[in-house]
Amino acid sequence: MTIPSGETGSATIWRPPAIATVVAEASDGGEAIERARESMPEVILMDLQLPTVPGVEAIRAIVEESPHVKVVVLSASGEEVDVLEAVKVGATGYLLKGSTAAEIVNAVQRVRDGEPVFTPSLAGMVLSEFRRVAAPDPGVPGLTPRENEVLKLVAKGYTYREIAGKLFISVKTVQNHVQNILTKLQLRKRYELMRYAIQRGLDKAPE
Amino acid sequence: MATSSDERPSLPAQPGRRGLWLGILAYRWAALGWMVFLAIGAADEFRRPGVAWLVLGATGVWTLWLSVTPGWDRPLTRWLDLGVCIGLLLISGVVVREGYTVGDHPFFATAYPVCAALTWGAARGVGPGLAAGFALSVALTLSRPINGVSLADATGAQVEGVGNGVVYYIAAGGAMGLISRTLGRASDELRRSQEEVLRERERVARLSEHATMGRQIHDSVLQALAWVNKRGHELGAETSVPGREVLRLADMAAQQERELRALIQSEPEEPPKERASLRVALDADARAVGEVPVTVTALGPIWLPEHEIDEVTAAVRQALENVVQHARATHAVVFAEEGEQGLVVTVRDDGVGFVYEEDGLRSRGKFGLLQSMKGRIEDLGGRMTVRSAPGAGTEVEFLIPEQEPASDLAADEGRP
Repeated sequence: MTIPSGETGSATIWRPPAIATVVAEASDGGEAIERARESMPEVILMDLQLPTVPGVEAIRAIVEESPHVKVVVLSASGEEVDVLEAVKVGATGYLLKGSTAAEIVNAVQRVRDGEPVFTPSLAGMVLSEFRRVAAPDPGVPGLTPRENEVLKLVAKGYTYREIAGKLFISVKTVQNHVQNILTKLQLRKRYELMRYAIQRGLDKAPE
Repeated sequence: MATSSDERPSLPAQPGRRGLWLGILAYRWAALGWMVFLAIGAADEFRRPGVAWLVLGATGVWTLWLSVTPGWDRPLTRWLDLGVCIGLLLISGVVVREGYTVGDHPFFATAYPVCAALTWGAARGVGPGLAAGFALSVALTLSRPINGVSLADATGAQVEGVGNGVVYYIAAGGAMGLISRTLGRASDELRRSQEEVLRERERVARLSEHATMGRQIHDSVLQALAWVNKRGHELGAETSVPGREVLRLADMAAQQERELRALIQSEPEEPPKERASLRVALDADARAVGEVPVTVTALGPIWLPEHEIDEVTAAVRQALENVVQHARATHAVVFAEEGEQGLVVTVRDDGVGFVYEEDGLRSRGKFGLLQSMKGRIEDLGGRMTVRSAPGAGTEVEFLIPEQEPASDLAADEGRP
């Protein structure tokens, strides 16, 4: 596991229990990209305020190179915009810095098992993001009514298990909905960049 | 055009119907005058003159009271009015000489009672207008036997007389209801288009606010772009480009991108006139609760009139107090959005939950806080729903429909 955590110092917030091994640590964004490449961890726990390469850029680079690596963002509150950006470029989990050790362990486990870790506030941001562009281009995927419903329940603080019970679907289906929402969010981001590049003829520029 | 935005909070809900009320009032006085005139003329025919003048005096007092209190919006006033008019019809059978009500002279209490049908029609529409007219008709019919005239032995002309009255009362109530409905619709239409204009103006104001903030940030963005442009070309001309240099440019661009994005997503600082941001108020609520971490999520900017914000946030604060005191929760979430149904605010905790049953809670004296929250929301025309079960946390939902001043009750409860 890679834990570049900036000045906070990983040791102070992270005492690995038996469920995981810390395979690498990095103290800035550039190092995080390198360590991730070398050690191929299952999960990366990462701060967004990093020296050299900003967290969002590091996540973009890591996920592009190794899409199977799951990134959990550990962020201070008040960095909502950055968190949303991190999720758009491929982070699959988000935790507040005030989270307890148990919550961190739980999140890492869940993300490793392929379950996106959403907090209610992140769900709210994602909902707002989809609402903000009310009538998107035909190419930009919107949320289905069901996805909207699921996301709203997450934003209200319901767990996946509770949502499954409420909507009479399996927990797995709820997870799939959340995963699809994330994928759509990332697609939108990519679509936006691509459209920009095409409009400016940047797509034809040599590398 | 600033005046119309100033007028908005107290915009008269039914300017047209107000005119109807005044018209009915004028008619009341005319009918009262006519009654007094007939009473003077038929003074010899009274078997109980004392009662007759007492009734006239009471009707006068009632009419005067209606004239000085703007009370027709109150259901109680309308019921009392109906009672007075029915009473007038019934008592009139008692006060005049036996059999007098079926003679060829005008009956002294016929004109005034129709006011009840008119008022109900004007205030509540066709159905209630017709119903009030019907109630008056029953009273009119009953006044005959009270006057000693047997309905079974009534002549054709006598039945016709009662029939005339019945048609008169019912038709008056129904017609007034129809007029009132038409007026109501027209004024709703007017209000809607006024609001449309206001909303549009607010939107433009918000946009220009954004533009001002935009200009402040543009300067730094332009400088950064100019630098990226210059340095990019310089680097492009070199044979080998140091990666660190390119990274610095990318960082610079990323920093500006973040700032711009934050600008786009932030709410404009200044809310529209006489409105405030619900999110800001809810954040304050959340901060006030120390014991349990609270997440506040509001979709989009939600601007509400200040008194509405006060009530909603007070209710949310009470809900959060409940969470702290009883729920043993680790987290609470406040979620607000404006949907098709109106404003929805939910307060949800992951605590122990309870069996929500109003009567049971009330009898054990545990409904106080919930009652207070419920009252606040219902005063805003909304409703409170509590979803909870032992072990399943608690969700309190406040639903406040978009303000519809069309209903006369809402207008009555509006601000002065």
